[in-house]
Amino acid sequence: MSAPGSQGAQRTDSHYAALVGALGFVVVAAFLVSLFVGYAGLDAPQAVSDALHGADTLPAIVLVELRLPRALLGCFVGFSLGLAGAAMQGFLRNPLAEPGIVGVSGAAALGAVTAFYSGLSQIIPLALPIGGMAGAAASALLLYALAGRGAGTTTLVLAGVAINSFAAALTSLALNLSPNGFAALEVIYWLMGSLVDRSLPQVWLALPFMAVGWLLLLASAPALDALSLGEATAQSLGFDMRRLRLQLVGGAACAVGAAVAVSGAIGFVGLVAPHVLRPFVGHRPGRLLLASGLGGAALLLVADIAARLLPIRPELKLGVITALIGAPFLFHLVYRLRREG
Amino acid sequence: MRFIRGSRFDARGAVRAALAAACATFAVAAAAQPQRPQRIVSINMCADELLLRLADRDRIASVAWLSRDEDNSNVAALAKGVPVNHGLAEEIMALRPDLVLAGAFSSQTSVQILRRLGVNVVEVQVPRNMDEARGEIRALAAAIGESERGEKMVGEIDAGFRALGLSAQSPRLRAVVMQPNGFTVEKGSLVEDIMNRAGLENLASRIDAGSYLSIPLEAVVLQQADVMILNGEVYGAPSLATEALSHPVLAALGRRLKVVAVPPKLWTCVGPGLVEAARLLVAQTRGARAARR
Repeated sequence: MSAPGSQGAQRTDSHYAALVGALGFVVVAAFLVSLFVGYAGLDAPQAVSDALHGADTLPAIVLVELRLPRALLGCFVGFSLGLAGAAMQGFLRNPLAEPGIVGVSGAAALGAVTAFYSGLSQIIPLALPIGGMAGAAASALLLYALAGRGAGTTTLVLAGVAINSFAAALTSLALNLSPNGFAALEVIYWLMGSLVDRSLPQVWLALPFMAVGWLLLLASAPALDALSLGEATAQSLGFDMRRLRLQLVGGAACAVGAAVAVSGAIGFVGLVAPHVLRPFVGHRPGRLLLASGLGGAALLLVADIAARLLPIRPELKLGVITALIGAPFLFHLVYRLRREG
Repeated sequence: MRFIRGSRFDARGAVRAALAAACATFAVAAAAQPQRPQRIVSINMCADELLLRLADRDRIASVAWLSRDEDNSNVAALAKGVPVNHGLAEEIMALRPDLVLAGAFSSQTSVQILRRLGVNVVEVQVPRNMDEARGEIRALAAAIGESERGEKMVGEIDAGFRALGLSAQSPRLRAVVMQPNGFTVEKGSLVEDIMNRAGLENLASRIDAGSYLSIPLEAVVLQQADVMILNGEVYGAPSLATEALSHPVLAALGRRLKVVAVPPKLWTCVGPGLVEAARLLVAQTRGARAARR
């Protein structure tokens, strides 16, 4: 945790570059696999060449209109969740701070549900990501007010439980009040998440907001590094804690809110990715940000590929698969925390 | 499909789902009545339709409340003024019925209580083709003592199908039914029979995947359907289930795919609506058929 010497710094720099490169490679590979895994046999070379030549053939339509948005969203949503998880853990100095556990994803789903089922997003499509972001921002502020920085794990998790159950209850209520008979069944989508039959317009709708969130979160890297030396030290190094807080709340709200609005609340990605990758970045929270984002993207793409390859129909919700991976992880963390306790 | 249409978690939904579930055909489980029942209660939406069409108003004590809803029922106008019930044993007993029509999958607890109290309950089944549908019209007509009117209805429906005017040489178009949540119509169902009569081949029957088949959009595209039948309220209140029906990929398919919307109520229950659905399909696919010739 202490600042490394200059020689060591050089070595970790090249390590870090290699790590980011390797993660980037995994993400690209998973993205390509995701494009060519599906329910119907797709002549891949034909589809790519038709799509590139602008030919209006069936394989090209499937590739561009169905497979591409799904793979893109898997990548972007995973990046958002992994990045937000790393940033929240760095800032709150709490290993359990994750958008799903502390209720930011759940509140984002509530915001998106309100915008969608009220019919608002049919009139103004932008209302959907904005609803998600408003929900995420409200819960992030509430969480901060309830738990605060450096709060004990118990306080943080309890605040998360409160926000999560409140948001889930209101989401169910909103769906039950909808005049559409199908709405009530859709609570599982919003609470578990899925990328089935997403479309390109949805990608363009969410991407700008997610990108703003990424920039805000990534820009907080130096401050998070300084913060790992203690709040007083960070302040003496010239970092404004109030500004950092706003930046992180805003960044997490944009990234997670917009992501949840188009994919539902997918849990555990923001927990698993930072924890797996932390040892590889020398436990520096600033460096963990990008690495964790890429790790989250790879994780979600692989989970989405698994959803399509597993012989279960209709396919499992993505959140079910990430929970199958993430829940044992959470058990392990809780066990370790208890020992350190 | 019928399960899907009416699914909701609240009480209203439970009734709606249960009622819709057992629509369309009737297997008469009870013995023939010695005399014509005079206080008939139906707690099933599909039984309502036949009852309201076949029996005189003064013999109908009550019908299911859903039948007053024009979006669900073909006989909403006939149901006006008839007292409605919600399938609860208590309210049905208060009507002192001499015959209760119920769905095989609906309100099982109510049905059991009614039977224990000695009420004559006739259960209806889900028909799998037009032969069974005809049988069910006749069976229900016999149970309410209106066999002659039942026979007339069967004759009219048969004449309606004959009048569709499809020659044996008409090309069979490949069609896929899209319902909310990506569900399609299973092999060996009444809807498939109607499609065949309208000159359409059900693409989903090529894939054998159990009875409640969910079809991913990309399979729809790659199976090269000529016709897509939207069976659901696309322009109702927003839901994810119906959102897939307006996915941009369908627009991208453009002229390759003829999209036809069929109001689900037409072929959910047995009745003249079946012919109307077939007529709609034939009329809407005329262009696609001509292009294939």
